[in-house]
Amino acid sequence: MTSSPVLEKIDDYRWSIPRSYNPGMRVPGIIYADEKLLKDIRQDKALEQVANVAFLPGIVNASLGMPDIHWGYGFPIGGVAATDPENGGVISPGGVGFDINCGVRLLKTNLDYQDVKSRLKELVYALFSDIPSGVGSKGDIKVGVKEEKEILIKGAKWAVSKGYGTEDDLECTEEFGAMSGADPDAVSERAYDRGKAQSGTLGSGNHFLEVQVIDQLYNRDICDELNLNLGQITIMIHSGSRGLGFQVCEDYTRSMVHCLSKYNINLPDRQLACAPVNSVEGQAYLGAMKCAANYAWANRQCLMHLTRKVFEKIFGGSWQKLGMFLIYDVAHNIAKIEKHNIGGVEKTLCVHRKGATRAIPAGHSALPQRYKKIGQPVIIPGDMGRNSYLLVGEEGAAETFFSCCHGAGRLKSRTAAAKTINENTLLRELESQGIIVKASGRGTIVEEAPQAYKNVNDVVDVVHNAGIAKRVCRMRPLGVIKG
Amino acid sequence: MKNYEIFEHTADIGLRVKGKDLKELFKSAGLAIFEISSRKQFTKNKNHINLIVRQNADNLDELFINWLNELLSLSSAKGVIFHGIKINKFENNSLEAQVVGSDMNNYKVNMEIKAATYHGLKIIQDENGYIAEVVLDV
Repeated sequence: MTSSPVLEKIDDYRWSIPRSYNPGMRVPGIIYADEKLLKDIRQDKALEQVANVAFLPGIVNASLGMPDIHWGYGFPIGGVAATDPENGGVISPGGVGFDINCGVRLLKTNLDYQDVKSRLKELVYALFSDIPSGVGSKGDIKVGVKEEKEILIKGAKWAVSKGYGTEDDLECTEEFGAMSGADPDAVSERAYDRGKAQSGTLGSGNHFLEVQVIDQLYNRDICDELNLNLGQITIMIHSGSRGLGFQVCEDYTRSMVHCLSKYNINLPDRQLACAPVNSVEGQAYLGAMKCAANYAWANRQCLMHLTRKVFEKIFGGSWQKLGMFLIYDVAHNIAKIEKHNIGGVEKTLCVHRKGATRAIPAGHSALPQRYKKIGQPVIIPGDMGRNSYLLVGEEGAAETFFSCCHGAGRLKSRTAAAKTINENTLLRELESQGIIVKASGRGTIVEEAPQAYKNVNDVVDVVHNAGIAKRVCRMRPLGVIKG
Repeated sequence: MKNYEIFEHTADIGLRVKGKDLKELFKSAGLAIFEISSRKQFTKNKNHINLIVRQNADNLDELFINWLNELLSLSSAKGVIFHGIKINKFENNSLEAQVVGSDMNNYKVNMEIKAATYHGLKIIQDENGYIAEVVLDV
């Protein structure tokens, strides 16, 4: 086994893993971090994984690590890689992950802290009771086999057609809530079985629904544009494609392990198993992955619908009157075929974002009209005790294929957190800070404790200072529902 | 004494399993993934499910990963937790096993293991039998 990569400093926020670290690297690695975060990043095998990703055939420019990078499997979490299909570029299910289109959405309300303060407990308990969460949770939104196929093609559009939202919600969702080219025939029966009855369920682990309050404004103009003010209540929903996505990843990793010899691909980690984007196997995975991505968008749309219903019940009036409009929904585990300018030439690339968020700047053609002026909202959840952020993409993100970090990034393993943190003490501490937590899984709360994560404020400082995305406002949690 | 232990991994769970032979190693690993993620609590539904699981692969590593993923996938698709495994046949990178599960509602499930991964996978033979290390995505 090779030793941990030696990093070469490019500037205060960029570090390089030179190709000389391992002769199999086709491009260098670039890590976005400051000295403080690097200390944590060096603690696990994430840097080695950045170097491993650089082995992928057809990789363009560099294998990238965002400041929230940590040890995953195959790709690091917080890893970005673009490959050029015209140059043998590959697609890897491990570069997307098991939870395909795990992502976050942020909605605003016209309530402020004073409105919810005295009813917070009631609100959190109602959300916990009405939104199915936990392992294998099943929702009230029941669909037949034929309809499930429709979800895989139409994504959030299916949910809206059922009355679980509006056209405006779709405009505020990456890919407008559905990727085109989804192929339901590329999804196995088992995947359908695993996804059945899970629409409108939160899931478990690090997935959550959070009631938040805006506690800091950074960019007054953009806040005005989005109608966001200090003390305003927002809601963040973090979930993915549930069992359906896990099975799609499992099915295609299983088959792509055999593609390595078929296409003569040499990789240091089989979890990076891949196939050329333009191969039969690559296209089949892409078609199936898009189905799972669309399922996830439908799921988050359903979760938002349930959330709106709970707020209507607690506060009275319609969700429209409560101002519960979607700001944006972003995927952070996905591969997408996108156009990028590489050395002055426009190229169509396959961009893998594994624990990374797309961040496109103002004026970009993929933006809906309403965000053309400010850029794409980038949503960065933190941990349950500290902050979350809203940012917008900047021109500087061209060097990251318009990608940004996706969260705080884990610091401690779940086992280490469970050993050192007492659940009752933690809940008391959070409550003393005005944060109420309800979780369905035993142990989830300690595994997801703030101490288990890096400080999201440090992570966001790096992307802001590196010119990838700029800070708009910061939220702090009030009520947290965990799976 | 348990024939498995957890090792540290930042985002996921590392599982180290022992077995005096490959049959026992596979059985122990199969049971361990359910033991670490769930605990029997109620007996709402006494029905048991009995299944025959067959897996083929090109090599031992692949068989190990495919076997664990098949169990996780079946568990999630059928809403059951497996608590009994008997490996009937094990030869030439293929296996046939009888697995017994009960309704997931009888258990308190603490974490959702999405899949077993190849990352850092090791299956080693020593004087006492076999040891496997695998990273589980949770």
